[in-house]
Amino acid sequence: MLAMAVIVYCAVYWLEQAALPGNFEITSTVNNTMPLVLVAMGQAFVVVARGLDLSVGGVMDLANGLAAVHIHDNLASMVGWSVLILIVSGAFGLINGLLVGVGRLQPVLVTLATLAIYQGLAIRVLPQPGGSIPPLYTAALVNPNRPYALIYVMLVGFLWYAFRRSSIGVAIFALGNDEQAARANGIDTLQARVTAFALSGFMAGAAGLFLAANATAGDATTGDGYVLSSIVAVVLGGMNLFGGRGSGVGVIAGAFVTTMIVNILFFSNIDPLYQSFYEGLFLIAAVVLGGQIGRLLRRR
Amino acid sequence: MESERDAIPLLERLRLTRDSRRIVYAYLAAVLLFVVGEIVHPGFARLDSVTAVLTVASFVGLVAAGQTFVVLIGGIDLSVPWVLNGAAILLVTSSLGEDSRALYALLLTLGMGAAAGLANGAAIAFLGIPAVVMTLAMDGIMEGLTLGLSGGMTCQACASYAPPVVQAAVHGSVFGVPAALILWVAVIAAVSFILSFTRFGRQTYAIGNNPLASYLASVDVRLVTTLLYAMSGFFAALAGVLLVGFGGQASLGMGTPYLFQSIAAVVIGGVYMLGGRGHYLGAAAGSVTLVALVSVLLAMNMPDYGRNIIYGVVILLLLLLYGREEKEE
Repeated sequence: MLAMAVIVYCAVYWLEQAALPGNFEITSTVNNTMPLVLVAMGQAFVVVARGLDLSVGGVMDLANGLAAVHIHDNLASMVGWSVLILIVSGAFGLINGLLVGVGRLQPVLVTLATLAIYQGLAIRVLPQPGGSIPPLYTAALVNPNRPYALIYVMLVGFLWYAFRRSSIGVAIFALGNDEQAARANGIDTLQARVTAFALSGFMAGAAGLFLAANATAGDATTGDGYVLSSIVAVVLGGMNLFGGRGSGVGVIAGAFVTTMIVNILFFSNIDPLYQSFYEGLFLIAAVVLGGQIGRLLRRR
Repeated sequence: MESERDAIPLLERLRLTRDSRRIVYAYLAAVLLFVVGEIVHPGFARLDSVTAVLTVASFVGLVAAGQTFVVLIGGIDLSVPWVLNGAAILLVTSSLGEDSRALYALLLTLGMGAAAGLANGAAIAFLGIPAVVMTLAMDGIMEGLTLGLSGGMTCQACASYAPPVVQAAVHGSVFGVPAALILWVAVIAAVSFILSFTRFGRQTYAIGNNPLASYLASVDVRLVTTLLYAMSGFFAALAGVLLVGFGGQASLGMGTPYLFQSIAAVVIGGVYMLGGRGHYLGAAAGSVTLVALVSVLLAMNMPDYGRNIIYGVVILLLLLLYGREEKEE
């Protein structure tokens, strides 16, 4: 799937520009995809646990706004606020998890409600687009000259690897596969569910930081589109929306495919304003095709 | 249930079921908010101010009508924002502000809304796509189409006004009652009739309670599901038409608040989010309660960003409250 997207991307690029994509294009693609890689990975944790996190857009908005307002051009502020923002984002994810787990509410409704709350808080932090991000911070996260951000992609991949092998990762997978059976086998399903949501909030916060670094300024609404995009990336990455199955490497690939689709559209002279139109179509197509393939496999 | 009955003998004598009790709560809350509003901001309960709140509530109420239909079968419609927004923009761009094209534009717009809802319903019922995913995708599709076709609201026709007929119809009043309110009362009557007295309404409740049993009882589950989502799309478009008639011009993002508002109204109205129980009479009261609450808080100098927070908090609090009640039985 990823290979296909890369080939189509190169082909369209070559047709339009009569040259293969160079360093600049690769760097900008990686930098533009970083927020989606992070937020999609967070979404994946929740999807594995048979949930859905609609509040990631709000958490990204808030992280983005906080970063633009508070991060100044000295090391202490950069590191301190980054850590603080990640903790706050994780805490917001934790709140989602507690409401779903302890309050026994539907994930979709809880995260829809907290999406509204987090968006409101983000606008409180940064009423108008603006603020600034020091160049050093941008260089550290999304170096505009070299695709150093690939290091972070690998880090995310490693995070998934560690997650898959940790006891909490096993617990979350078990919860997504069959909650009754998981509980019967002595797995703390409450803890697993809360952790999945907290991880999602944490990753969405990291995505907000990368978004701010890439744009070198803040906007408390840019995260909103990532609610749809993150789900598209997760589904394109082959993850089962009904929980319990999927791979993190697939999700990273899904994030790159989602971004490249937008780039391909751009190079084939289709107005990028249509972006969400195509994302919506791809989401439906991926869900339908994924379901069909799954059914075929099970029949064998 | 037993202990609860002993605790509230008065309500028992009135033969109120839990579902209708919730509807009563929603109306009491609305009245209470007007009283509180009058205390903190004298003049809040004056007739013209109440009328203004009710008019704003009617826009929420129309969207909530569609949302109620799909929530009653345990679904949800997240495509409200851009179906509404797309409808508002389609109305002005297809009518170009001319009365002669108003009817054509109206039919086109409402048809578009119903078609988007129909696509939602068909994909959910026949392809088995989860409602959340399908309607979220539809929201993206409508957003992309609206932005793309209007060139990001830069097209010439985008600056058109709603046809004067539509504006006059929305702003008009009969015996001092705004037309938007009259339309809403008609919708309340029609939707309540459908839910309570028709086969379609009974089938809706049946599917919400148990889709499999309904299917075995020869209810055409897929058809009913599809129609319910189509109605949700229709009502979102209708709200878009009314909003653009009210404000005169369309803008990007005008539909965004209506997703949270419609869900909050449905929850306040005591409609059970897993389907099968609740009534539009409750959701209609919920719309009034929500708008009155926000108006009271704005009158108390709540900053504008507080609205979003209020919607979220209201949804969460009521879900927790009603969820608890559910468990006690």
